[in-house]
Amino acid sequence: MTSDRRGKALTAALMIAPFVITYLTVFAYPVYKMFALSFTDAPLIGEGRWVGFDNYLKLINQKLFFTSAWNTGYFVVLTVVPNTLIGLGLALMVVRLRGWLQSLVLVLFFLPYILPVSVVTQIWEWVLDQQFGIAQYVIELFTGKRISVFRDPIWAMPMVALVTVWWTNGFNLLLFIAGLRNIPADYYEAATLDGATRWQCFQRITWPLIWPVTALVLTLQLILQLKIFDQVYLMTEGGPFNSTYVLLQLVYREAFRLNHGGLGSAVAVFLFLIIVTVSVLQYQLLRVRGR
Amino acid sequence: MSGIKLTGVSKSFGVVKVINDVDIEIEQGEFAVFVGPSGCGKSTLLRMIAGLEDTTGGEIRIDAEDVTRREASKRGVAMVFQSYALYPHLSVFDNMAFSLSIARRPKAEIEKKVRAAAEVLRLSDYLNHKPSQLSGGQRQRVAIGRAIVREPRVFLFDEPLSNLDAELRVKMRMEIARLHRQIGATMVYVTHDQVEAMTLADKIVVLKGGVVQQIGAPLALYRDPDNMFVAGFIGSPAMNFLKARVVPGSGDGLTVELDDAPGVPFAIRAKAGLAAGEEIFVGARPEHIALGEREGGIPLRATAEFIEELGGTGYLHALTASGEEITLECRGQERPQPKQPIRLTLSSGDVFAFDRQGARLR
Repeated sequence: MTSDRRGKALTAALMIAPFVITYLTVFAYPVYKMFALSFTDAPLIGEGRWVGFDNYLKLINQKLFFTSAWNTGYFVVLTVVPNTLIGLGLALMVVRLRGWLQSLVLVLFFLPYILPVSVVTQIWEWVLDQQFGIAQYVIELFTGKRISVFRDPIWAMPMVALVTVWWTNGFNLLLFIAGLRNIPADYYEAATLDGATRWQCFQRITWPLIWPVTALVLTLQLILQLKIFDQVYLMTEGGPFNSTYVLLQLVYREAFRLNHGGLGSAVAVFLFLIIVTVSVLQYQLLRVRGR
Repeated sequence: MSGIKLTGVSKSFGVVKVINDVDIEIEQGEFAVFVGPSGCGKSTLLRMIAGLEDTTGGEIRIDAEDVTRREASKRGVAMVFQSYALYPHLSVFDNMAFSLSIARRPKAEIEKKVRAAAEVLRLSDYLNHKPSQLSGGQRQRVAIGRAIVREPRVFLFDEPLSNLDAELRVKMRMEIARLHRQIGATMVYVTHDQVEAMTLADKIVVLKGGVVQQIGAPLALYRDPDNMFVAGFIGSPAMNFLKARVVPGSGDGLTVELDDAPGVPFAIRAKAGLAAGEEIFVGARPEHIALGEREGGIPLRATAEFIEELGGTGYLHALTASGEEITLECRGQERPQPKQPIRLTLSSGDVFAFDRQGARLR
């Protein structure tokens, strides 16, 4: 009996060993290392001296840190809620379509999501190009002049946000479609018999029942958008005048450009803590509201 | 007067006709049941009355008003769905109050009506519960309560009991019957279960392939079916159909001879008019076939196959000499063993005759 149980435990340990080993080597250890490095003056490669909270103190005195933290927050505000609402809005429309038309429209909306980020930014640099970009007609219509959007501190971040929404919305749309399909048609028929209008149906049935999906999408979006880097790096490189400089870019700058491994880790730790706190907090809050 | 009148009602999806020229009249306060096998169009017909499906042809009148093209919410009907369609995020109270709050009725009125309905349905203790905390029968009652609160002209039920277990189904059936007596509204009820139809209905509408087969009171359909389909569908276990042949006979009835009992001609109360030698079907209910030999009946030989024992009675399934399946009711003590040869007696006064197309010969 006991030897049988021991055998079972051994088998179980063997079975989960590949996962545990991989998890420890590629996740747990690097995370530990990041925390450890942030308290040293290590360069990018190699060990450093223990310096306590020096790196964090340096950060607090660095203007670029606050700028990038602020810009990351601004980007999150510009993307998370709009991206979620647009995804829901499109899903509500797409779900009304039937058969192959629905599949086709879904594919069209999902297509940007499978593109690599470099292709996405290339497309949009082209679309928004000051001289021959097609979007300039729209910009001209509203502002009366052509604008080099990625060289304008006011325009740059909203445009990066626009590109991001365009790029990632397909996935949200898909999650919402799955959620909407889970709401039985009976609910709407019963409500129709009760005299509910389309808006009342949305307000009283769709919105409360899709809320768990909305909370999930909002949280996923928040985590994803706090980690903004690629689009900024490819389109504006943080400029103009650091108006699109974000936290991950600061990590990149400190660690890989200036060889400050310790300081870079400190920024990463800061971002890590923000993401964990904010996302856990948000998800819990949203769930409570949904009950 | 909240009667319902369907005249020449049809529905087609493209070239497929699912409801074919249906005429039904349901009186005010009547309990009508649409019954038929799955896919016969009974639910579609109900949804057409509700306004959830478009009507391709014909006219639907409720209270003598033409509602054929009217929006579902303006028809004054309430429907109880097979799935109950209770909103999982709302309490029992809010579920029942849904229609009134949509219509922005005053709070006091909503409160009064919901509490009154909950009283009738014995749900008063559960008003703050969510549907997921209720049993199947309670959910069913909430769904009915939601309909009652609206005070509709007509109640529509779409297979409301099919998700319940057998025992609860019998109980809910009685509750619905009681409710009908209590509020006296016109009710239309769809089911595939002929027992439900028989026990609940004032009037049964038997449908098959989108065509009305027969309309009438439960016992009228049982005692006097128009065709083989109705004869076979109403009554449990189903009626037996035996092949027979018309033989030359005297009198104004039809003289026939069963393929399984050659040389024993007997008369059936039906208009003569079929030529001798013509094939027909003779229908006999299980209770009209007796075990053993009796005077004045038609003797049959068969082999016992299997017995459905219910205690007081048992239903014996047997095979006749020509290999036809036959079911009969055993009331006495005697229970044949499987494979045992048995003798049966068909009481010839109680049988029905059908022509080869299944139409009743009367």
